[in-house]
Amino acid sequence: MSQPIIRVESVGLRFDSFVALDDVSLSVNAGQCIVICGPSGSGKSTLLRCINGLERFQKGDVWVDGVSVSGCQDLPKLRRGVGMVFQHFELYPHMTVLENVTLAPIKAKGLSRKQAEDLAFHYLDRVGIVDQAQKHPGRLSGGQQQRAAIARALALEPKAMLFDEPTSALDPEMIAEVLYVMRDLARGGMTMLVVTHEMGFAREVADEVVFMDRGRIVEHATVDEFFSTPRAERTREFLNKILLKL
Amino acid sequence: MRYEFNWGLLWREPYFDWIVEGILTTFHLALLAWILALCLGIVIGVLRVTNSRLLRAIGTTYVEVFRNIPLIVQLFLWLYVVPQMLPREFSFWWNRLDNVPYWTAMIGISFYTSARLAEQIRSALRAIPPGQFKAGLSTGLTQVQVYRYVIVPYALRIIIPALTSEFLTVFKNTALALTIGVIEITATTRRIEAWSFRGIEAYTVASLTYIATTILVILFMSWLERRYQIPGLIKRGEARV
Ligand SMILES: Nc1ncnc2c1ncn2[C@@H]1O[C@H](COP(=O)(O)OP(=O)(O)OP(=O)(O)O)[C@@H](O)[C@H]1O
Ligand SMILES: [Mg+2]
Repeated sequence: MSQPIIRVESVGLRFDSFVALDDVSLSVNAGQCIVICGPSGSGKSTLLRCINGLERFQKGDVWVDGVSVSGCQDLPKLRRGVGMVFQHFELYPHMTVLENVTLAPIKAKGLSRKQAEDLAFHYLDRVGIVDQAQKHPGRLSGGQQQRAAIARALALEPKAMLFDEPTSALDPEMIAEVLYVMRDLARGGMTMLVVTHEMGFAREVADEVVFMDRGRIVEHATVDEFFSTPRAERTREFLNKILLKL
Repeated sequence: MRYEFNWGLLWREPYFDWIVEGILTTFHLALLAWILALCLGIVIGVLRVTNSRLLRAIGTTYVEVFRNIPLIVQLFLWLYVVPQMLPREFSFWWNRLDNVPYWTAMIGISFYTSARLAEQIRSALRAIPPGQFKAGLSTGLTQVQVYRYVIVPYALRIIIPALTSEFLTVFKNTALALTIGVIEITATTRRIEAWSFRGIEAYTVASLTYIATTILVILFMSWLERRYQIPGLIKRGEARV
């Protein structure tokens, strides 16, 4: 067993002459939760987008459950297997929460409306907003919207979930409810790759922490190591900055 | 000499039948042209924002050609020039159709309108956060599906007010069809005038038709706008409810 669910190998990506990712390698095994942190512009979002083929890279390759992203003939299918959650939720504002969650299962996966709705209610219940199913996203609080977005990703029953700063657009009192859902997912065995600066979450939930700077992975360690003895100078600086801010 | 009104004339044969006929022609010409224009406009508008340079160039050319030649000139081109350029068999078939001026007008008006609509749709598409597209793709929808189910429906809701005024323009532009021989309501009025010398009555009927329809369309579209407004989305200076 034990091929990693996500394997990133020596990925390099340039936007014109700007190097956004430089020889990045990373594996996420089944059931693992890895947190990525790093300063703005360090390539964290770009890395996540490479994993589900939303961004084309020039060097290296990514494998999702053994399938190569660069050689993938059926990207929609590959993407269905990797849930993605965005900083600004990106729910479809003209649809109800239920429609948001059932759209892809029906149109991309080919489930019947009934099957899709059953799934949707199951996952909306899991994130605690089943009572909001018939509302439009604009009527929900930020925390509820992000939980709806998580349910939308879960409804495709993905093998792994990618989170891109899921709480950084939220008011403090709503951050907790989203982190709670994520913690619950991680405990339930979901394979997760999470870009976040919530170090409390990292400490408590993550198995490993990755620190990125200027398109490179500067540090990759287990949680204990990372917080007790971060080696790179740059990491220490960054940790001091964000830990002081909290 | 004072003009003596004779409204009763309008109810007499053959004028009454002509009027009904003319109004109906205006209506279905406007509606058919509108539906075709909307479909074409959506496709062209989407082409103009895709990643493919070729598709964008096609979209831009289409818009510039059909938007910048005056409609009346386009109608003549469609009627006299285009059929000459098509294969012989096709132009044979086309010229034998029952109502060539009518179909010509419909094509001409809808191409012209679709170029204008494409511009409206393009700017609405631009206003949609790019994250919506990424979100759609990330759930395994194909590009076409993302446009079909997410981006275009979203964009159409944003531009309902602009669609209203475009529809009213189409409706009024149908009057130009008389220049290539379509007997819609304005042409009908001129015919009544020529037969009976009762111009004022006839033109009143045409004007009332346009005004009444316009009002109905505006009412319908504002209902549509309320029905399809996106809850919780702040728009046009309204307070968030
Ligand atoms: N489409 C693009 N074209 C050109 N440059 C880009 C593009 N997308 C991202 N970049 C650049 O690549 C770098 C990495 O961007 P990325 O969004 O991955 O950073 P990040 O680590 O997620 O930062 P943040 O914390 O601000 O979200 C940035 O300098 C950004 O300006
Ligand atoms: Mg980012």
